[in-house]
Amino acid sequence: MLRKEQNDLLTQTGPGTPCGKLFRSYWLPALLAEELPENDCPPVRVKLLSERLLAFRDSGGRLGLIDEFCAHRGVSLWFGRNEENGLRCPYHGWKYDVTGQCIEVPSEPEESGYCGKIKLKSYPLVERGGVLWTHMGAKDEVPPLPEWEFAVVADRQRFVSKRLQESNWLQAMEGGIDSSHVSFLHRGDLNSDPLFKGAKGNQYNLADSCPVFEVVESAGGLFIGARRNAEDDRYYWRITQWVMPSFTMIPPRGNHSVHGHFWIPIDDENCWTWSFDYHPIRNLTDAEVAAMRDGKGIHVKCAPDTFRPLANKDNDYLIDRAAQKAGRSYSGVEGFGMQDASIQESMGPIVDRTKENLVSTDNGIIMARHRLLRSIKALMDKGERPPGVDPAHQRVRSAAVVLPRDQAFKDAARDALMARPGVAPASV
Amino acid sequence: MLSESARMSTAAEARFRIDAPNSRPRHVKVIALDPASEALVKHLAERRWNSASFFTASAFAGAPPGRGFSMQGWLSDLAGRTKDLIDEVNGADLVVMVATAGESVQAAALIGEACSLKRVNTTGLILGGASATDEMLSKTLSQLRPWSLMLVIANGEDYIEDMLIALRA
Repeated sequence: MLRKEQNDLLTQTGPGTPCGKLFRSYWLPALLAEELPENDCPPVRVKLLSERLLAFRDSGGRLGLIDEFCAHRGVSLWFGRNEENGLRCPYHGWKYDVTGQCIEVPSEPEESGYCGKIKLKSYPLVERGGVLWTHMGAKDEVPPLPEWEFAVVADRQRFVSKRLQESNWLQAMEGGIDSSHVSFLHRGDLNSDPLFKGAKGNQYNLADSCPVFEVVESAGGLFIGARRNAEDDRYYWRITQWVMPSFTMIPPRGNHSVHGHFWIPIDDENCWTWSFDYHPIRNLTDAEVAAMRDGKGIHVKCAPDTFRPLANKDNDYLIDRAAQKAGRSYSGVEGFGMQDASIQESMGPIVDRTKENLVSTDNGIIMARHRLLRSIKALMDKGERPPGVDPAHQRVRSAAVVLPRDQAFKDAARDALMARPGVAPASV
Repeated sequence: MLSESARMSTAAEARFRIDAPNSRPRHVKVIALDPASEALVKHLAERRWNSASFFTASAFAGAPPGRGFSMQGWLSDLAGRTKDLIDEVNGADLVVMVATAGESVQAAALIGEACSLKRVNTTGLILGGASATDEMLSKTLSQLRPWSLMLVIANGEDYIEDMLIALRA
């Protein structure tokens, strides 16, 4: 459980909030690059950390993320004309560049310099790895660009999607580090999903339904190891990475791609679930990419031209009670992603953690909250840069390994837990 | 379904959640396995807890059980009174074993055996993970791992307090 004030602290990320300040220390994924496909394309409304913004790509290809509303009368610039290196409000013609600087106020004499006095709030927007990233913190505290391995491999080695999740970011993220739910919620899907099936590790998973967990603090967050019995005197370890504030990386299976998530607050009651798949040493096959587009693996199928899942709370996630009863699906909801989302959204927009009853297998969640609270305090009291900002903390991998029983995974799998260009992931 | 009076959760719907206790206190036994952990556990015990009780087995840390060893002889409460391990485990919902990286924690095996016998969950907590060498950590890990259903290696001592609060101890 958390006390109410702790729950509020961790779930509120708007401007001026302590956890909002924490998130504003990082480069955050804001849009898929494909959402701004060409110069002068239509702008896109973006809400992040409870701030309404507008993203656009100008005539010269420069990217901008600015306050959504015109400084004149508060019109949404989403209606604007993206033309000649700026976004022009259609109401009275005020025009802004990618930094939010007003560059034309047609009603005022150019010589007056009036437009120079008008500037909208803006944030940097940079493209890396098929994602447009923003930093919403102080301009003099912009960290080095993100170096997550999925973002620095070649385009053909990567697939990234995002979906709307109608819940607070924290309960979504906590699902990503709660390894013990896999044996229930996702039971049955390991051997059927094309992006998971066929791995030897699946046999260990299914043969030992009582994993034992080890949680170890890392420089950027946590290693969460789940061990199961393997042959002889060995354990099968699945080691998940959590890097602050909301990055998780799931251990791979066989020669399938590596995958993971970011959970980024839209506001306090909604978040973006970003899902990525990549392989460090090979291109993804056409079949793999087709499966990911079709909502397999950790991805989901969204309604056309939206990022809202087709199965959502308005249609009870298309739950199939007959499949649930017949044992074809444990939860009755189709797909890993929607199985997670349905459960997490059912908790309510912001789960009341004063009422929960955690058990010892929830130590990954307890430790993550502990580190978040500790980092927020250090940031607010001493201005300490939080874990996960340093690119060295981002060059990590999850791993699945078989180790002798007397070896600590943290030591035995040390190399496997670091991103190493050109080296295959540790997978079983 | 038309007969349902509530749909999926919204902020407005959340106002109608039942506001009543949904659990009773769990009995958590916290046992220090070495002298350094004992000091921490003593400090923790000064706080107000729902139903956590605190013990030490640190006297046993360096001495393997010899002939005539008795389970009654080494577990004590923080006032130094000898306690019977089986009795204590019998009344527990969870046993937390606290160790310091690099220390010998042979009592873990006895406590683990007792918990296994009584089907009580165990959590092993190793403190000082950041400052310990791999060798030190491995030594403690190898003694705790066989007997812990959940093992946590924490850098700071403040984690244990947060963990016990989170578990409603």
